[in-house]
Amino acid sequence: MDEILEILCAADGVSGAEDSACEAARKLLAKYAPDAAADKFGCVTGFIGDRNNGKPTVMLEAHIDEIGFIVTYIDDDGFLKVGSCGGTDRRLYAAQTVTVHCGSGDIKGVICTLPPHVAKDGDKAPKTEDIAIDVGFPSREAAEKTVAPGDRVTIDNRLAKLIGTRRTAKALDDRAGVAAVLHALELVSGRELPYNIEVLFASQEEVGSRGAIISAFGSRADIALATDVSFAYTSDAKKHECGEMGKGAMIGISPVLDREITAELKKLAADKKIPYQTEVMGRDTGTDADDISVSRGGIRTGLISIPLKYMHTPVEVVDTEDIKAVGRLMAAFLTGGEADV
Amino acid sequence: MSENKELFDLTGRLSRLCGTSGDEQGVRDFIISQLPAECTVTTDSIGDLIVFRKGAKAPDKKIMYCAHMDEVGFIVTYVCDDGRLKFAPVGGISPAVVFGRRVVFANGTVGVIAAKALHQLSSDEKEKQPKIEDLTIDIGAGNAEEARKYADQGDFCYFMSEYEEFGDGFIKGKALDDRAGCAVMLTMLNEELPYDAYFVFTVQEEIGTRGAQCAAFNVKPDIAVILETTTACDIAGSEDEKEVCRLGEGVVVSFMDRSTIYDRELYRLARQTAGEIGVKHQTKSLIAGGNDSGAVHKAVGGVRTAALSVPTRYLHSPACVMKKEDVTAVLETARELLKRLGEL
Repeated sequence: MDEILEILCAADGVSGAEDSACEAARKLLAKYAPDAAADKFGCVTGFIGDRNNGKPTVMLEAHIDEIGFIVTYIDDDGFLKVGSCGGTDRRLYAAQTVTVHCGSGDIKGVICTLPPHVAKDGDKAPKTEDIAIDVGFPSREAAEKTVAPGDRVTIDNRLAKLIGTRRTAKALDDRAGVAAVLHALELVSGRELPYNIEVLFASQEEVGSRGAIISAFGSRADIALATDVSFAYTSDAKKHECGEMGKGAMIGISPVLDREITAELKKLAADKKIPYQTEVMGRDTGTDADDISVSRGGIRTGLISIPLKYMHTPVEVVDTEDIKAVGRLMAAFLTGGEADV
Repeated sequence: MSENKELFDLTGRLSRLCGTSGDEQGVRDFIISQLPAECTVTTDSIGDLIVFRKGAKAPDKKIMYCAHMDEVGFIVTYVCDDGRLKFAPVGGISPAVVFGRRVVFANGTVGVIAAKALHQLSSDEKEKQPKIEDLTIDIGAGNAEEARKYADQGDFCYFMSEYEEFGDGFIKGKALDDRAGCAVMLTMLNEELPYDAYFVFTVQEEIGTRGAQCAAFNVKPDIAVILETTTACDIAGSEDEKEVCRLGEGVVVSFMDRSTIYDRELYRLARQTAGEIGVKHQTKSLIAGGNDSGAVHKAVGGVRTAALSVPTRYLHSPACVMKKEDVTAVLETARELLKRLGEL
């Protein structure tokens, strides 16, 4: 699990520029789905089974993109102005080390914010439009030789171990979900299943589930199991709005999710002694499940989430046991609850 | 190997070492390991490393160069029941560079500093920069007992940040304040010197120039040259005198800051020296900051003091940024200045 997470989180894939993350995920997926491929919209798809065997098809879905920045302008002194791709956390901008992903390769930079002697409101979180990226070039002309508007920017943190099975990295939202899908495929690998499997690692979730909308149109799935990250409790949050880290898969309950599939997931988790908790939402889920469930004439969809702390920061934290629990639950579903997973 | 490469290999190695105020042992040991046999080395009771090297001649006045070993960092103040660690900054650290960071302890334990996700914030909370006293370090512990096995009250931890070169001759890393000054002094100590000189690597600068106060008493210099870093704000959105000083414009020679009015003759001599050897020099356009000069110039009945600084962006953050040619400018000026000071 650590090895897979390390590979997935080290790859970069800000919304709309998921190439590196797609390639990393495609290689890992090809072990189970040899025809796995990335499409022109930044989604990775794979198929396991036989289209003509008459079995229903289950889609396993996670999103491949991550939040980040996009270069909008290069100023006279060579500093880069940026916009957000997805919901970036303004509280952590100052002096973060970043990588700018340029056409000719990656370069390093540091986010600059005005220090207290210049800033008007020193105790306020800076606005994205007020920050700039220092890439160590003295002028626009010098910077333009390497950087161009549209280049993406990530705040880098490769996977690091915390105590026990806790891990921290950037982009665990939702590479942890990708890892859970891969774990499920590993668990059912070589087994005769009652389902065909489609895999979708979707692009542009962070800007509005666009990859899932585009790709699900081409899907022939009868059922979808989506996985994303959700809020793990931290002491400053409301307990009833969070799951708990280390307490297992968060089975989503929402008006947009299929009730029978949700009930089946709960029953399987209980029967197989897979650690689980429920996450009840009174509306849509804020994940790709919302759009997949209404794709074409509708795909019956379940959602299984991974508790994660500090979402949309470069120090997101997960417990790998929770990722494994999600993978096991997906695997249990794929085997029809028959085999032991 | 060119001098430049050696200087920045050294700067990088020093940047990666961890040593906040009161925890400088590792930095001191490394510096000692890099000193040539010609040096006489003592460590005073507070932990300053006092190094003497004989030069070609003995100067009339006792000359002391000074840079500090300590960096800003954190200390664990309390272990919460649920395993989170409360902490305090050691030295002045803006809350804005604490949120969303990784820290590392001497035993390799990694922690992260963050809070509930932005999705869970009220619109008021979204605008606020969280205060340090409201933040905790998460090392992945489930309870206090588990946490204490890895990190306990009184333990120090540090920004996790790589030293890297980037852009057009720039470097970034933690603790460049003042390991760059340490690198310059180590480079000089490995050369033949024109005059005898003391080189003092001080402790506890970041919590009030406490090491320098003891070191100046112990050395009793007539003249001191402080090698430091100073805030450069030549960044997007800042202009004119608010920039303070600029990267790429050479050594910063200070006339005054919040702790010291520098010796007028030495200020002029330092600028003249840099000019005569063709080294770019500048001064600060704002009376701000302070350094070991504040303690040294008031010590032992008064020490004539100058400060040569590397202009540095984002001081006291995990990513201090310098231009390499400015560090070289400080080295060349400091080296030449010793000749001139010996003749005073």
